[in-house]
Amino acid sequence: MPTPLHSEQLLIADSGDAPPRASSRGRFELVNISKAFHKAYAPALQSVSLTCEPGEFVVVVGPSGCGKSTLLNIAAGLMPPTSGEVRLDGAVVRMPGPTRAMVFQEHGLFPWLTALENVEIGLKLTRVPKAQRRHRAVEALKMVHLGQFANLLVHQLSGGMRQRVSIARALVMDPPVLLMDEPFSSLDAQTRTLLHGQMQEIWGRTRKTILFVTHSVGEAVRLADRVIIMHAHPGRIRREVRVPIPHPRDFDSPEISEVVGVIRREIEDEVNRFNAETMTHVAPR
Amino acid sequence: MSRRVKILLVWLVLIAGWEAGFRIIGWKPWLFPAPSHVLDAMLHLLSIQTNFGDPTGPGWPFRSVADNVSHLTVTLPTALITSGVRLAVGFLISLFLGGMLGLLMWRFPFVDALLGPLFLGLQTLPSICWVPLAVLVIGINESSIVFVLIMGSFFAIAIALRDGLRQTPPIYKKAALMLGGRRFRLYYHVLLPAAMPAAASSLRQGFAFAWRSLMGGELVFMLPRRGVGFLLNVGREFGDVAQVVAVMCIMVAIGMMADRLIFARLELRIRTRFGLIA
Repeated sequence: MPTPLHSEQLLIADSGDAPPRASSRGRFELVNISKAFHKAYAPALQSVSLTCEPGEFVVVVGPSGCGKSTLLNIAAGLMPPTSGEVRLDGAVVRMPGPTRAMVFQEHGLFPWLTALENVEIGLKLTRVPKAQRRHRAVEALKMVHLGQFANLLVHQLSGGMRQRVSIARALVMDPPVLLMDEPFSSLDAQTRTLLHGQMQEIWGRTRKTILFVTHSVGEAVRLADRVIIMHAHPGRIRREVRVPIPHPRDFDSPEISEVVGVIRREIEDEVNRFNAETMTHVAPR
Repeated sequence: MSRRVKILLVWLVLIAGWEAGFRIIGWKPWLFPAPSHVLDAMLHLLSIQTNFGDPTGPGWPFRSVADNVSHLTVTLPTALITSGVRLAVGFLISLFLGGMLGLLMWRFPFVDALLGPLFLGLQTLPSICWVPLAVLVIGINESSIVFVLIMGSFFAIAIALRDGLRQTPPIYKKAALMLGGRRFRLYYHVLLPAAMPAAASSLRQGFAFAWRSLMGGELVFMLPRRGVGFLLNVGREFGDVAQVVAVMCIMVAIGMMADRLIFARLELRIRTRFGLIA
């Protein structure tokens, strides 16, 4: 039984010095990222810095509009930052590519292909020899327990299965970093819990560096080594919370609820403070 | 009773009513034909002489040998082959040109800004309006009629393809980029397959435009080789209203069958595969 947690221990402001892990590949850094879409408005992101150690599972949470999806798109290379840079194992990365495989909220699977062909397509796009492709794709599908659904088309799969194929499609590339943009938000609660379990299993087996974005605090605490709390207007990192519960986790454990409570209060305070601030700008009737 | 049978029955009743109107009122068959005259005209086009349209009596519906004078210089099967070859050549060129320009307009906003409005304008120009230009510049020959067909269809194909491509979800491209898709392989494996539903509807629309343009062109071009549109003009010149209606029916039937049997089926198959149809 781990020692009880206290909220004071959990809140570590501006801490980037997590202990290094065994894996040598997959140190992923976002350095001083800022993004402004429009000059007249607060920037979507302001000086966001975040380091994911190799094999670390980092989850970014925050209210909608805090720029967490923008941050992930910049991390992926799908969107250029206004300033700042993204580094993978020390090298600056600017373009999208298979070193940071991405799982999208709306899965983004190709509907003209079967589940297996969807997993295989990244290998085709990167010219992996034909002989290896099929084998690797089948293995990846088995990893998400969809081996027997290989030949179904995308629209024949359930929402949860589609996300699992999407995860397999990312994993088959064997990327050092896995980016996940609210991958389970559109699923029902039971499916989500099921996939949280599978995520733990997959991460346990592959030890990828994972940067995961969600608006669900519960989801963040279940999965993360470290939860990054973002605030909006402008989007920035306010706190980070280490979740010192060993994996695999029992999602119903009181420790998880405790950490969830701490983070929720933190976010609510910020949202209330922001609302109070903006309300004063509204002329009284 | 299935819906199909019902529809067929209603049509039969309507046609029977039309025929009955002619038989009872006895209007002049050279002013407007009855279904029986149209049937005669169709069989005539196949070199079969009948007179279903005449009052019933001994020998009906076969025409006596003495009546067997035909103003036709070409039969329907030969005309169909002539039109078919022109359609195949013109439509293929049109698809190639329209496909290329549609892709370019989608890919490069400058090309779209340059050509998009022009193409939309040209699409509204009836294809027959290209005839005078074709006659003066190219002359009266096979090339000029194929030119009219191409001009009548390829703007529509380009515009339909561009619009369809614009509707392909941007996430496919994002996902492909993250999986390492670049240049040729990105297009070949992802962007072009993603455009299949768009291409199918563009193909379908393009065919309708091509067929229309060809028939219009053949109607006004007096070429040595006689197509289906030519038959319509023969009907007009000889005041054979039954033949005019018969040829019109054949044109509609061919357009409809090509759409139903080829293009609509293709589109349905693609849309089903993509899960766009429940």
